Amino acid sequence: MDDKFLNKKVDDIMQSIDGIKRASPRPFLFTRLEARMENEKNIWATLSSFVAKPVVALICICFIVIINAMVIFMANSPSDSLTQQGNELAAADEYSQVSTAFYEFENPKP
Amino acid sequence: MIETELIALLKKRDRAAFKSIVDTWQDMVYNTAIGILQNAEDAEDVTQEVFISIFESVSSFKGESKFSTWVYRITVSKAMDHIRKKKRKKRFAFIQTLYGKNDEPVIDPPDFFHPGISLENKENAAVLFKALEQLPPNQKTAFVLNKVEGLSYLDIGEVMKISGAAVDALLHRAKGNLRKILKDFYTAMNKN
Repeated sequence: MDDKFLNKKVDDIMQSIDGIKRASPRPFLFTRLEARMENEKNIWATLSSFVAKPVVALICICFIVIINAMVIFMANSPSDSLTQQGNELAAADEYSQVSTAFYEFENPKP
Repeated sequence: MIETELIALLKKRDRAAFKSIVDTWQDMVYNTAIGILQNAEDAEDVTQEVFISIFESVSSFKGESKFSTWVYRITVSKAMDHIRKKKRKKRFAFIQTLYGKNDEPVIDPPDFFHPGISLENKENAAVLFKALEQLPPNQKTAFVLNKVEGLSYLDIGEVMKISGAAVDALLHRAKGNLRKILKDFYTAMNKN
């Protein structure tokens, strides 16, 4: 295909929608629209549309990120983990929570 | 009944006013939607969504722009959302086929024939609509509003919230890109 013919073809295609007429939907659009609106009135549709709102989704994501950040921050905090460990040891010491299962397993009774 | 009265009545959830608005604007909304979506069923679906949105959010229409501009904005936005949803579904279907959950092949849509095109231009218009699919969303929107809906640069600018000069530049780029896509297509076809 030479350039002249190619350009002519492209021009024809570009001009093919000149004078296009408006397309119309099928008849009785309003009746179908009313039926759809009636269907969408139920509670689940309302709930899902609420959840699908960008603002709600963003708030949920922010909430999850904050919770995650808090958990990570608390887990990595050295003073907290030391205090917790100290408390655990003190409690175990006070109530004599020493497991003897290890020795029982190593030295079974005859 | 004049437009402002209709809008005032619609704000009071008047059924007759809503019917009148649907009857008046349905062709405009449907034609814009079908130009962007290139599928009659999707266009009808989006048209219904647009009118539901108008009914539910008419109270937010303050009359700062023309009612038609507001309707066009909702239509373009809903049509673009529909395309994004469809792409997501297509991607998900592809993943499903990869994992063998769905055996149905992903079928490319057939050529789109706009009902308002004359018979002698049908084939060429189908090629043009196919090429239109490859344009960036803002160029495609400007092209459809101008060529399919017949809006002026000023009106397109109001719908897309850009200046007339920006619309001019956008349409210039759209036409340039379309010509390139078409030339590449026929050159490749010739080589095969």
